[in-house]
Amino acid sequence: MKPAAMIPTGEATLGPFFPPRYVDEGANDLTVFEGRKAKGEAIEIRGSVIQEDGAALENLIVEIWQPDAGGIFRHPADPRHAQADPDFLGWGRAATDGRGSYVFRTIRPGAPEGRAPHINFMVMFSGLMRILKTTMFFDDGLDVVLSAVPVARRELLIARKQGPNSYRFDIRLCGDGETPFFDD
Amino acid sequence: MLSIAHDDARMTTLIEPRDERSQPARIVAGYPQTPWRNPAQPLVARRPTLSELTGPMEVARRVRLLGGDIAGHGDRQAIGQLIHLRVRVLDEDGAPVGGALVEMWQANGAGRYSHPNDDDHAPVDANFYGAARLVTDASGAFELRTVKPGAYPVPTNDGWWRPPHVHFSLFGRVWLSRLVTQMYFPGEPLNAQDRILNAVPDVAARESLIARYVPPTGNPHDALVFEHRIVLRGRTATPEQS
Repeated sequence: MKPAAMIPTGEATLGPFFPPRYVDEGANDLTVFEGRKAKGEAIEIRGSVIQEDGAALENLIVEIWQPDAGGIFRHPADPRHAQADPDFLGWGRAATDGRGSYVFRTIRPGAPEGRAPHINFMVMFSGLMRILKTTMFFDDGLDVVLSAVPVARRELLIARKQGPNSYRFDIRLCGDGETPFFDD
Repeated sequence: MLSIAHDDARMTTLIEPRDERSQPARIVAGYPQTPWRNPAQPLVARRPTLSELTGPMEVARRVRLLGGDIAGHGDRQAIGQLIHLRVRVLDEDGAPVGGALVEMWQANGAGRYSHPNDDDHAPVDANFYGAARLVTDASGAFELRTVKPGAYPVPTNDGWWRPPHVHFSLFGRVWLSRLVTQMYFPGEPLNAQDRILNAVPDVAARESLIARYVPPTGNPHDALVFEHRIVLRGRTATPEQS
């Protein structure tokens, strides 16, 4: 806990002043791209982003980057990218609502070569001096990035299954249960 | 550009880390939100894989481009000092990054954002929305026509004012080169006391966040010109500023 002399959350807030239309309508839905449906199994990922005192953060920007259902990245560096799903961009953006919650609809990613299925996350917000990057996993299977995280903290990167196609991935910026972020 | 090679050894050599001295502190004295929002645990080092060495290159197909002329149109001109910002986006080797999506937002000439949360002190300018979104040309360049943003007081109410600045969000070619930063103006007295700019310890890195004033040449005849350079990655990367 911080000393009581700290200015309470919500007062002295500097921004965020991302333009009101910074998050385009539908930018959090990766299952459809330019009117066409992506291949694969649609899933929903929800979560809250909270700061040290547990306060929910509104209008925080969350972005994701992931491979398609076949584990292929839509990028020329992926040797298989010619076979990437043309109807899947792999990128999305959401803003948290008044309860600090974001939601993405996306396609369950396949396993890229040498990696377990995962989704890259990035968050940006005022008072975060630098953007933060983390990675969400679906289970605790072997993965080179997950293995880089101290054992006791690995579970914090594993989404909690809420239903057959529904996951929860909370992001705690600081404090107890702090999400592991990567030094990129 | 960052390596798109597939053998691990080469990737490792080409991914230069950012120089920590040229990046802002995460906890900033006098910026009361920072101890609540920035990680207390050390960040986890990872060796980049294809997942981090790829990234969205076609975001411009997913978001609405707003162009780079945000100073108004016809007889509906924003109020303020008309300026042109000429910016080049480079990778860690100094090579231009063409086709990069750039998002920019700023306060109006009076120091107010077009945002419902900014209800502080200064008037709204109905002719100024305050956000641009465009793609760099093949030489990594883009130009913005805007008005110089005003300074504004921070609600810490202890004398901290943000100097005139603009926010940039950029997508390079890979996930590791995603950059969110700010640009400042030369000769502004408030630069010396800004807690965000001065969170960057290295003097040269701080100065790299300040645009260069270009003496007027008559072209354009109606606007002041500033030049700026943004380096997405590596040891000479432009400092992050969220």
